Amino acid sequence: MVKIRFQRKKSVLLSLGLLLILSTVTSIVIQDNFFPETVVQENADPEKEKSELWPRNITGFNGITTIERKPRRIISASVGHDEMTVALVPLERLVAVTKISKDPLYSNIAELVKDIPSVDRDPENIIALNPDVIVTSPYFPADSISKLVDLNISVIQTNLASNIDNQIDQIALLGSIYGEEVRALQLSQQIRARFDFIQSISVDAEYTNKQSVLALSQYSDQIWTAGSNSTEGYIIEAAGGINSAAQSGLEGNVTTSFEGLISMAPDLIIITQPLKFGGASFIEELKTKPALKEIPAIKNNRIYPVETKLFTTLSFWNIRGIEELAKILWPDKLENQSFDGFDPFTTR
Amino acid sequence: MILGKYISRYSNLTLSTRIHVSTLSLISLLVASVLVAISVGPVKINFTSILSILSNPFVHESISHTELERLIITDLRLPRIIVGITVGMGLSVAGLTMQALFRNPMADPGIIGVSAGGSLGAVVAITVGLEHYFLFSVPLFAFLGSLTASIIVYSFAYSNGRLSMPTLLLAGVAISAFFSSIISATIVLQENPDSVRQILFWLAGGLDSRSWNHVLIATPLITIGTIIISFFSRDLNLLSISDDDSKSLGVNVDLVRPGFIVLSSLLTGLAVSVSGTIIFVGLITPHILRLIVGPDHRLLVPLCAIGGAFFVTIADILARSIIQPAELQVGIITSLIGAPFFLFLLIKNKKNIHSY
Repeated sequence: MVKIRFQRKKSVLLSLGLLLILSTVTSIVIQDNFFPETVVQENADPEKEKSELWPRNITGFNGITTIERKPRRIISASVGHDEMTVALVPLERLVAVTKISKDPLYSNIAELVKDIPSVDRDPENIIALNPDVIVTSPYFPADSISKLVDLNISVIQTNLASNIDNQIDQIALLGSIYGEEVRALQLSQQIRARFDFIQSISVDAEYTNKQSVLALSQYSDQIWTAGSNSTEGYIIEAAGGINSAAQSGLEGNVTTSFEGLISMAPDLIIITQPLKFGGASFIEELKTKPALKEIPAIKNNRIYPVETKLFTTLSFWNIRGIEELAKILWPDKLENQSFDGFDPFTTR
Repeated sequence: MILGKYISRYSNLTLSTRIHVSTLSLISLLVASVLVAISVGPVKINFTSILSILSNPFVHESISHTELERLIITDLRLPRIIVGITVGMGLSVAGLTMQALFRNPMADPGIIGVSAGGSLGAVVAITVGLEHYFLFSVPLFAFLGSLTASIIVYSFAYSNGRLSMPTLLLAGVAISAFFSSIISATIVLQENPDSVRQILFWLAGGLDSRSWNHVLIATPLITIGTIIISFFSRDLNLLSISDDDSKSLGVNVDLVRPGFIVLSSLLTGLAVSVSGTIIFVGLITPHILRLIVGPDHRLLVPLCAIGGAFFVTIADILARSIIQPAELQVGIITSLIGAPFFLFLLIKNKKNIHSY
């Protein structure tokens, strides 16, 4: 009896072991096949004849995609991609964008794309637009992508990033997908120059002169802050501030409490949610709650509502967020400085 | 093994001794957990200061505490703890009452659509943007939603002076599904991402940023409701066996049963209005206590009130302290600690399980 039980246990353990090995091997294979690094396989040379450059292979988050010819009908399906695409190609080539890109609260290109159809994630609606290529984020449903690929539509998923170097890589990749390498290079140089200008101001400052900044928003009484590896956190540091949440060991966008704010004691607070969607009442609450009155940012009346679209979108428009925050952090150096937006392709 | 031995030794005690032992044990645990909850937070406050503040909550500053420490304790930690205690108490007593009335161990306050009604009320307030004009519109609408759901469900189940339990149950399921669909449609059709976040985070439930106003909304009525249910706990014992037995022993079933349902709806609606939907408390607390003390509701009702309060307080301590100064949702913790502990008790006490 004991022996049978032991054998049963042994066979169960053996099965579990095999299952573990099988799942490990499967996950490695899946990872290798579906999550490769995003790289451009072909170094496109704009000087060469276009016929020599197409077709080209692009490696995205969803694997290698072959683009037969320069795409004339582009669908961009995330706000970050929409903002980059508008800066890289004439609007006539854009057949659909994300719905939220038409909302000026969350998009820097709302006015430009207001007449362009918006796209959802339904393959049939996408097919109806007859696109040459669809560019989207890794969050686009895998089954929709699979159906579109089956219908010979090129779908490329690329990672969006808040880091300026990665954003420049993304612009180069999109430039390669659209056959607009020269424009991508120009845009990258413009972004780099603006970023370096802010860095030249903040890098000179003594560390002790740097102010601690906390990015906050409040949804249904839950207070959200941005630690390290978050878009807002990156903007704070790029503007020459110290991210209070990251200093307290927080990573990503996480919930905190009023007491958490007291312990982080920031010199200034930026409110990244729109004023009319909870931002105004949250600022009022911060200012009137007696327990918070000793927080330096509140004591010195340094709570700043900022434009949501500059601080949360994953595109090069974050540079504008960096510039705006730098103006708050370094008023003596940037007082008379005005910063412009970025031009769309068509106005050049 | 040891726990099982204690439970079997405990079940041999008289009812009166069991009431005293269990109540004292749970009260001690609740008091200890409240003291820990007051002491734990991103800002370090020593225990002498806490005691000084608790003994003189209106003294702004003293040798033992600063004004900031006093404000942190009285304005931030205490209201949150009290709301947590109240919500735990309300949800677990409502869960226990539902399980007895429906003679179904899986019954919980959500079964007759009260939670879904509360959620829909909150979603309406958020979608219309009422919270920007009136700070407590969300809890108020959540409560009104719960109340509306209860009224609709009762009106279906009540005819010719009698309440039909199967109709009540089915109407509850239908109303829950209907309200949940409206909530889903509202989220999907919502164009503004900030409103979507407001709705989703409210539905996730939590005790973040609770104030004395939340205490005022929920605590008095939940306490009164719990006391009334406790007062009629003998009737709950009889109703959990059968209607015929209840009637033969003098219980006015046609009056008492709707009364219990109204009360448990009220408790749930109030709890949902100040905390969103915190899952598992109403289901697990009565079960755990039933496994330990048996099926007598005279004992179970007060113990569920204290046990639910203790459970939510402990869950909130963990939610606040695991990754501070960040926080987790209290509902995540109630599920994470509640479910495994419940399974552990089930395995350990297979022979002692009391059910309907």
